Amino acid sequence: MEVIENESIDAEREIENYWHIFLKRSLTILSAVEVIVSIIIVSTLMLTNLIPATLFSFILILLVTTIWLVTVNVYLFKFLVKPFRDLVSAVVHVSSGTARAIPPNPNFYHYDKDGFKEILQSVYELSVKRTQPKKHITSLDEQLTQGLNHTTTGVIVLDKKRQVIYANNAAPTHIDSEGKRVLDLIFPDNSNLDTWLDKTESSLRSENQWSRVANKPLGDTDRRLYDVAASYQKNNAAETVITLFDRTDLYAPEEDDLDFISFAAHELRGPITVIRGYLDVLEDELSPVLKNDQAELMQRLIVSSNRLSTYVNNILNASRFDRRHFKVHLNEETLNTIYDSIKDDMQLRAASQNRLLTIDIPKSLPTVAADANSVGEVLSNLIDNAIKYSNEGGLVQVVARPISGFVEVSIIDRGIGMPSNVIQNLFHKFYRSHRSRETVAGTGIGLYICKAIVESHGGIVTARSAEREGSTFTFTLPIYDTVADKLKADNNSNETLIDQGSGWIRNHSMYRG
Amino acid sequence: MAIKTILCIEDDRFIGEMYVRSLKKAGYEVDWLVGGNDGLIAARNKHYDLILLDVMLPERRGNEILDSLRGGKEDLIPDTKVIVLTNFEQDDESRMAMEHHADGYLIKAEITPRKLLSVIDGLS
Repeated sequence: MEVIENESIDAEREIENYWHIFLKRSLTILSAVEVIVSIIIVSTLMLTNLIPATLFSFILILLVTTIWLVTVNVYLFKFLVKPFRDLVSAVVHVSSGTARAIPPNPNFYHYDKDGFKEILQSVYELSVKRTQPKKHITSLDEQLTQGLNHTTTGVIVLDKKRQVIYANNAAPTHIDSEGKRVLDLIFPDNSNLDTWLDKTESSLRSENQWSRVANKPLGDTDRRLYDVAASYQKNNAAETVITLFDRTDLYAPEEDDLDFISFAAHELRGPITVIRGYLDVLEDELSPVLKNDQAELMQRLIVSSNRLSTYVNNILNASRFDRRHFKVHLNEETLNTIYDSIKDDMQLRAASQNRLLTIDIPKSLPTVAADANSVGEVLSNLIDNAIKYSNEGGLVQVVARPISGFVEVSIIDRGIGMPSNVIQNLFHKFYRSHRSRETVAGTGIGLYICKAIVESHGGIVTARSAEREGSTFTFTLPIYDTVADKLKADNNSNETLIDQGSGWIRNHSMYRG
Repeated sequence: MAIKTILCIEDDRFIGEMYVRSLKKAGYEVDWLVGGNDGLIAARNKHYDLILLDVMLPERRGNEILDSLRGGKEDLIPDTKVIVLTNFEQDDESRMAMEHHADGYLIKAEITPRKLLSVIDGLS
């Protein structure tokens, strides 16, 4: 390295010295030429007798002529040789790499005029290129590609035929068997990229966003979760641009929790299935031989196992609701059919605790838009609460009636009731009144999930109560006819699709009309 | 079509025995298999009027079995009814996919053998 440096310094010196050598030589030659020219001029003048032919006059005139010619020529030389001098000076400046002298100014008036400016500038540009590290990037496209490939945000571009024409490294895509690049994204069934594009193609431009879109099914390794944004512009060469933000770190722990709860519920439900199943079988088979209070004990077993099952469902539903995984599928249902599915269980629960359960659901009630399973859970939670919080021999009533666009269902008990300050907290998760904490079993999420389910139908749930007088819980469900059009419109007017759903729970306020 | 023969694919011994006991008592002919692979082979080799299919099975899951039987262009079991019986809370997409190919989808913990018999009665 040292040798190379010394060599380059020597070269710089040689270039720098060159100007002085050139100047010296040029001026010497010029001066000599001027002297000769002056001698010729003076001699010619003497020979033609234009001036006296004396030695004195010869020397005097020769001197004057030489001085005059040298002065004029030096001035001319300086003027004419200036670009050359600046060129050398620029090369010296550039090659030295250090600003030892002020570099010649390419913006000098004449240089600008006669075009020498460009020549000087190209010397400087050559030096800039030489000193910069060598780059492989030559075009803007390449720069853009390299930039997009090192970002963690996925970028995918689709053409008019919805084919992938560009995908950066972070974008979840793969090449299929036909050699086409395809997206690795699992969109929700009722709102995927294609259905959005189908809708959007009639407009000039549109945007849409999806949250928690996975690239692989649950359980697969290296599953990523993205927030996805897509923008569409008709007739653009890059018609659809999809941007993906990897939110796995944020969403995956929640998904794992949900996964855990699903598996835990599966484990719990196994023994519950067997207990409930055999109790049902045994009750039937043993009924002729059960003595004294054995039949009642059997009923308590059945009621307890049924409750256990309800609690597991509540935990699952609350967990899904909290993570926005809870969906309801609204169909045309009658309240009576829904109640029938839980009727035996409810009557048994009431009977085993000496409560009288009366049901007054008129057959003439209009049909409701409901998810039968979920509404069944609401009813059984509210009836079970009424049974728990009423007194021995007490009456629990279920009444239903139509009110402006909705069917209103009330569950009335004459039990212990609650002070008014308790009511406002009732529907919070894990909330249980001071008294119930000591006297009645429960998880404290029953009312929380009831509220979530009812509101997901577009209904409301309310409570009225007075201490030692009892409580009334009321919920509403939309009458099917009032929301049928909206439900159908949401699903391409296809009735078979109605039960395919309605999106996230919190979007359901739209069914309130 | 009256249901007479039933294939029960269920890996939980207690639950399997419970269903088989009740179904046999009610007069059905029942074959019971605990593995996913054995279940699929049985379903393809012999005609059953009804298949009771669990989801969380060893070797091969219930959704894969259903997919192999009914997911292709041709329905391999056109004269057979399928009821999915599971305790596993599947995500909505997987559940929809199974419901699409099945004649019933029930949570086991909510279905006692007596209720199952009435559901089967309803299918006939």
